[in-house]
Amino acid sequence: MKQSKFKDVKNIFIDTVDTESYVELDSMRYNCEVLEESLKKPLKMILLFGKPGTGKSMTLNRLWFNLKNSREIHYFDAPILSEKAFLRSIYESISSQQIPQNMRVNFDGLLKYCQKLRGEREIVFLLDECQLYSEALMEKIRLLSDTRVVKFVITLHKTENEDVIAKEHFKTRIWEIVELLNAGEEDLNVYIQKKLIRKGFVEVANMFSKKDIKFIHTHSKGNFRETNKFLYTFFSIYEYYDLHQPERISSHKFSKKILEMTAIKLGYIYD
Amino acid sequence: MINTKQLEKRWYRYKTKNFILFFAGFLLFLLLPYGGYYLLNYGNPMEEKNSLNTPVVQMDSTSIKEVKLEEKPIVETISVAKEHNLTPITPSEVILSPVIPIVDFTQEKSNDRANKRVVEKKSVSPKRKEKSRLVQAKPSTYLTPNELSVVNGTAPNRETKKIHFQSSSSNYMEIMKQKFHENKNPREAMLLANAYYKAGNYIHSEKWALKANSLDKDLEESWLLFAKSKKQQGSRNEAVKILETYYKKSKSTKAKMLIQKIHSEGLQ
Repeated sequence: MKQSKFKDVKNIFIDTVDTESYVELDSMRYNCEVLEESLKKPLKMILLFGKPGTGKSMTLNRLWFNLKNSREIHYFDAPILSEKAFLRSIYESISSQQIPQNMRVNFDGLLKYCQKLRGEREIVFLLDECQLYSEALMEKIRLLSDTRVVKFVITLHKTENEDVIAKEHFKTRIWEIVELLNAGEEDLNVYIQKKLIRKGFVEVANMFSKKDIKFIHTHSKGNFRETNKFLYTFFSIYEYYDLHQPERISSHKFSKKILEMTAIKLGYIYD
Repeated sequence: MINTKQLEKRWYRYKTKNFILFFAGFLLFLLLPYGGYYLLNYGNPMEEKNSLNTPVVQMDSTSIKEVKLEEKPIVETISVAKEHNLTPITPSEVILSPVIPIVDFTQEKSNDRANKRVVEKKSVSPKRKEKSRLVQAKPSTYLTPNELSVVNGTAPNRETKKIHFQSSSSNYMEIMKQKFHENKNPREAMLLANAYYKAGNYIHSEKWALKANSLDKDLEESWLLFAKSKKQQGSRNEAVKILETYYKKSKSTKAKMLIQKIHSEGLQ
């Protein structure tokens, strides 16, 4: 059976958080540098926040990748909602010991353990999706950070409520705040081009015109997640035409019609 | 798997909607200035109402004339401006007023004053006759107080009303022709003949001068204009013959002078 090249192209834009899919943009490099510099300072907590799809998880992942060999750094990519499991994970990460399943970590004991390590070690924990943590657990995270042995870099979605959490709950403790914004048109172009070229689809990358990028940017508003979604759908439609009606698509440039069809499919424009 | 066929249909719908919206917007853009123009010009009904009340009647542009009107007379005659040298009209004759004077085609644009004519209407019929006619026309029981005062001769003198109006030459011709067909008046035929002569249409001026002459053989103007029209068409000898015939009959000095003039032009 005939295979379309667009099948592989569309898979590039499946939304994943890993170092392989990380695309270094100027804005992202800058954010990583700010975070690295902040971690060198005697700060207790660092807040990384922005709208969904602005690259918070990716930045956190990149930070972990950059520092994993030089610092004691632990990355919790998925939120651990149970307090018991969270404390256990923290202890196991610090002590590098497995706790038997029939035992639990006592929070006071953990605090005392951390206080004993003051001046000896500095451990960084990267916590993603912190808006899902309970207030009680967030309070315990704050107390742990007060020991100055454990540092936390936390990410929060920038919604109205979460903004309140960020401001009210942590305003006295978070000393560094990094806000991530949606990409501009040029950044988005670089993002798409790099993603395609890295996988060897140079021809496909060259098929994008400025107008196409502008169209995508207008509808995705520079949001990486939305852009991935858009391009995945776009190349899915292209795959169909490539397999069934190849005479209707050009090999030099992308069709505006298919761009508009994608926007209709994703609900950006209404028919 | 994306249902591409269905998506394509949705896309066509989207494009159609866009096109309609664009077209409607474009149409609106085109119509806005017209709408504004219409509102500015015809949107004020008060203005229209006021314009209806004004005594000024405006037609096409040529000249503005003053017409004095009196409501008293039932039977009216006209005294046209003296420079026309018209034959005297007997009081018993009824001649309609030329509402629109002759239009000088060659000079109408440059000199409107030349076209101004004052037409005065005045009662010339005897008072008794007038009264009897009025009574015959309408029983006194049905007369209004105003009409009764006219019959009794006690009506106060009315103010002279001025009506300004303008007419184009073609309009004038049509009106005059219509009037002539209604009244068969040689004076109107002469007015038309004069107008055509001044416009350089000598065939028509000859025709209308002949019409006037057939209605009134003694109308000097018709003889002179008929001859002049002939001359202008190149029939100089014929023109002279006509004038000589008329001169023998009437001993008109004007006819004699015209004969001499034609002869002198011929010598030159």
